[in-house]
Amino acid sequence: MNRFWQLLAGLVFECWFGLSPRAIGAADVASQTAKTEIKASDPLTFAKDLKPLLSEYCFNCHSKEKPKAGLNLERFKDDTIIMQDRKTWQMVMEMIESREMPPEKKPKPTEEQRQSMIHFIEAELAKLDCNGPVNPGKVTLRRLNRTEYNNTIRDLLGINFKPAADFPSDEVGYGFDNIGDVLSLPPILMEKYLAAAEQIVTKAIVANPAAQTLIKRIEAETLPSTANGSTFEDRALSLDTEGEAYTEFEFPQKGEYIIRARAFGQQAGPDPARMSVRVAGKELSVIDVPAIESAPGIYEVRAPLELGKQRLAVAYINNYNVSDHPDPKLRGDRNLVVDYIEVEGPLGAEPPPLPETHTRVIPRKPVPATQHEYAKEILQKFAKRAYRRPVLDEEIERLLRFIEIVKMDKGTFEEGIQLAIQAILTSPHFLFRWELDPTPEKSGTARTLTNHEIASRLSYFLWSSMPDDELFSLAEQKLLTQQETLEAQIKRMLQDPNAKALVESFASQWLTIRNLEIAQPDPDLFPEFDENLKTAMRKETELFFEAVMREDRSVLEFLDANFTFLNERLARHYEIEGIKGEQFQRVSLNKGSGRGGILTQASILTITSNPTRTSPVSRGKWILEQILGTPPPPPPPDAGELEESQQALDSASLRQRVEMHRAKPECAVCHSKMDPIGFAFENFDAIGRWRSLDGKFPVDPSGTLPSGQSFNGPDELKAILKSQETFVRSLSEKMLTFALGRGLEYYDKCAVDEIVKTLVKNDYKFSTLVSEIVTSEPFLMRKKEGDTP
Amino acid sequence: MNKSWQIPRRTFLKGLGTVVALPMLDAMAPVKTFASIGAKAKPPVRMAFVYVPNGAHMQDWTPLTQGLDFDLPYILRPLAPVKSHLTVLSGLTHDKGRTNSDNAGHHARGATVFLTGTQALKSEGADIRAGVSADQVAASVIGKQTRFASLELGTERGRQAGKCDSGYSCAYSNNISWRDESTPMAKETNPREVFERLFGSDSKKEVDENRVRRERYKKSILDFVLDDAKRLSSKVGGNDRQKLDEYLTAVREIEVRLEKAERASGQGIILPADAEKPTGVPDSFGEHIRLMGDMMVLAFQTDVTRVCTFMIANEGSNKSYPFIGVNEGHHTLSHHQGDAKKHAQIREINKFHITQFAHILQRLKSIPEGDGSLLDNCMLVYGSALSDGNAHNSENLPVLLAGRGGGTILSGRHLRYEYETPMCNLFLSMLERVGASTAAFGDSTGPLHGLEA
Repeated sequence: MNRFWQLLAGLVFECWFGLSPRAIGAADVASQTAKTEIKASDPLTFAKDLKPLLSEYCFNCHSKEKPKAGLNLERFKDDTIIMQDRKTWQMVMEMIESREMPPEKKPKPTEEQRQSMIHFIEAELAKLDCNGPVNPGKVTLRRLNRTEYNNTIRDLLGINFKPAADFPSDEVGYGFDNIGDVLSLPPILMEKYLAAAEQIVTKAIVANPAAQTLIKRIEAETLPSTANGSTFEDRALSLDTEGEAYTEFEFPQKGEYIIRARAFGQQAGPDPARMSVRVAGKELSVIDVPAIESAPGIYEVRAPLELGKQRLAVAYINNYNVSDHPDPKLRGDRNLVVDYIEVEGPLGAEPPPLPETHTRVIPRKPVPATQHEYAKEILQKFAKRAYRRPVLDEEIERLLRFIEIVKMDKGTFEEGIQLAIQAILTSPHFLFRWELDPTPEKSGTARTLTNHEIASRLSYFLWSSMPDDELFSLAEQKLLTQQETLEAQIKRMLQDPNAKALVESFASQWLTIRNLEIAQPDPDLFPEFDENLKTAMRKETELFFEAVMREDRSVLEFLDANFTFLNERLARHYEIEGIKGEQFQRVSLNKGSGRGGILTQASILTITSNPTRTSPVSRGKWILEQILGTPPPPPPPDAGELEESQQALDSASLRQRVEMHRAKPECAVCHSKMDPIGFAFENFDAIGRWRSLDGKFPVDPSGTLPSGQSFNGPDELKAILKSQETFVRSLSEKMLTFALGRGLEYYDKCAVDEIVKTLVKNDYKFSTLVSEIVTSEPFLMRKKEGDTP
Repeated sequence: MNKSWQIPRRTFLKGLGTVVALPMLDAMAPVKTFASIGAKAKPPVRMAFVYVPNGAHMQDWTPLTQGLDFDLPYILRPLAPVKSHLTVLSGLTHDKGRTNSDNAGHHARGATVFLTGTQALKSEGADIRAGVSADQVAASVIGKQTRFASLELGTERGRQAGKCDSGYSCAYSNNISWRDESTPMAKETNPREVFERLFGSDSKKEVDENRVRRERYKKSILDFVLDDAKRLSSKVGGNDRQKLDEYLTAVREIEVRLEKAERASGQGIILPADAEKPTGVPDSFGEHIRLMGDMMVLAFQTDVTRVCTFMIANEGSNKSYPFIGVNEGHHTLSHHQGDAKKHAQIREINKFHITQFAHILQRLKSIPEGDGSLLDNCMLVYGSALSDGNAHNSENLPVLLAGRGGGTILSGRHLRYEYETPMCNLFLSMLERVGASTAAFGDSTGPLHGLEA
């Protein structure tokens, strides 16, 4: 491997990667290989390399007699004990690395000594025998997240109204929102599940197919009128003089209809208020309205009507307004008040055909004699798919009780099915993805997942949804444990439209472009940044990722490629000519266009900037975290502040000011990794536009990495990044994390090694990455319940 | 760029004091506003916790004088109309927000410690551990008396991608309310959703018979899924068991609410005349905050709950506030490093938040209750778990206590407490006043002295 990689790996020791075990994996990985390099010349031992330093700087407080904070480091006698207490040594390394230990006022090791201690511990922690017993890890029970819930409902029932839009956000862990340990189920979410289930069955299944005549109600207060109409208490229309309230109504067919009105009169005079119902100017009936406000009446007229849009009106025809009648009982102002008008019909017509969502669950009309068996058949078929596994008879029996409940209430068969499905959609069997270990065998050993469990993992990985019929069928035939079948399925699934989910779930989180939603570039400095541009930015990245996926291209093209997707707006933003229209199109990029690959897409450049200016540190950090998988540790507690006098600010470019970070060695350790990477992109402003000047300073996009390799501009940096394994490893780890739904642990290193090795051999093809993940031990197996993690 | 952040969108409900016809699930034992009760029946005490991120510019926050007649510094000036109901508390500390041998992660630990007094276990995902929060302690005791045990509000959904705070899961910085040590209480951020959840979704006059049937069906579903969960429960252990327990707890909560409703006479909630149902999330951030505040006020006023938490923004929020001339992100600015320009911007943000809080307090004050106002019967804590956003320190936190706790708090003062007084002492005192006394809470050393008359 080339020198850069080796030295980068070497430097990777020097920074702390956070306590996340997954990040340890990354460190382990790099250090393991580097360790191999170093081992030849420099075998490390506990006795020679670590113990003397511990003795000098740590034992005073962390000994057997005086174990401060409960930590006695004296008890470790040789190399092996480190392995037995990983947790303690992990913490010790972190403390040394972050300079929290030794504490203030105690003697401190030199930088070299410090790095040596870290180096040793890390190397020890990375020791892993991949030929030993398999540890595939264990994923905590995962509930469906919002995306998965929406997609599963779509595929299960055919409804596309995204019921989870109002669910609370899923928490994010290890960069993804599908991590079992992190997803919780607060009571408010349970309420939403219940409500959503009800909405879903109401939309999918017609409760009473027999009674499917059209009834349309129009609130009268929404209607215009020619009768001096005024709103009556926000809920009705008062007609004060003679005239009508009217609407243009679309009668769907020629046939018999009932026109209904709920109304009352503010009565006065000898006669009751009188109403005329008219269609297309023709009076259908004159109706007396003796009802009063405290008890409105419902009045109907039935008539044959023609198809088409016609004026439907309800008229007040006998106004009476006499204030000075000799008989006081005959004084008053009569008005007609209409609450609503209803049109029912056409009566006796053929009901409209049942929607597909209904017939896929209830394909035939139920016949009373065979209802019970029919219900059983329906629920068997449905539950099997909803629970994503074979269903026991006993489970179906329990579900059939809902049919009985509804039947006793004289509800319809369809309502019974609705209720049963509501229960299924609220059941933990539906909401969680179960991987139950068969009742206790040897705890701690590993088992291969069942076919159905594999099918679910596969579909939720690539489609964020439930398995389809083909996957279910293969699972039933127990073929999904075979490598060839899996690989064939992967190829199929990546071409399926549902693979769009990999873009929406994986890519948007890996590349953090969901953060575009909250990007707020200063509107004064960047007035051209609007919704259209923001949407276009996101779309480019999504389409690009999708192309690499569907065309099975090399994943290295994520770093640099000779094509992208643009619409007119974004092309203009990039100063690329010749692209017209709102639609996105594939665009070939010339060499030197500077826009190949994700790193120079406006989306990434924007989310790694501040609202008012670029932030090379942010960009560098983002690339370290998301692209290289070597996140920098947080700043040490005594980081101090950057001295910035006003003079310095005015006379220095952003780059120069940032470079002051490296004045102190404890800052330089990490900033020398982050900052140069960020500088490479300084030609792109805070919304990703090209610029050659930053204010009045010419941009200097050159830099030197800690390895010594230097570059001038992003293209050269991309070439460097492409030339070594760190990116591929990081992408593998992230995708494995997403596929498993748990953070990676040290023992996953073996799987990651395999994945990377095969990926390199296969020209880094996207489908190979997916295949390798799916056929890896952590994906196909799990550790049984036990004490050891 | 969409600059139209001014226009509120609301729909008006029906007229004066109409009963909203609700499905029986949502009905409660005769609930009404306490406006009409005389001095004899004492209205209940309500508690609320309003959270702002990234600390505050303390130089313009802390009043110079103590006791009564204290001065209102720049940030607190919008509270002038309710000053007599305000108590400024200086010197409170959350020791468990400090690093204490973890490192960095101040924002994650901050939001976590604010209402729990416990130190967030440093974890990206596995073993998220905090502690039960004060509002949930209260809810577990007095929650049975109201339709909803508690209400959790916010304006920002969780961070959607990437990391939130070095080595800590986003769950920590996005929540202040914790049901138990591993279950944060998710917030509702859409005001319309809040309204519909509390008061029912539409005014359709459902026939009583239908309503009764629907409730019965709901109950049968809950029985069924509870049965499912119990059967599964015997087959799992460890973390899986804990996840299933969350499910069980959630289902039981809904069952309890159903039972309450059944025991009730089935009356609807009487909404006040000026109650408006929001149409959704407004474009304007200020309007969004105020609308959520209105929902809190409405919830208290109609006594559907007596415990509420409201995160005005998530901890670590990097929102910018261009409508008050602040174009930089809040979090970025809070790392001010002594820059006077940044201080000026930070205090504008702080003042903006206080202005929205003042709106809530004024609304509470304008609602008569007992022989005073609803505000008299409330205790609202407003604050942040960081003091100076740059130093990330956890002592001398910016904390306000508004309301009079049903006459148990002598408000209108600035009280300064001695160094390292735990903020949990305040919670201990509040829990007692709300009827949920406990011997200790978080790292409390005793009740907070000096609050009472």
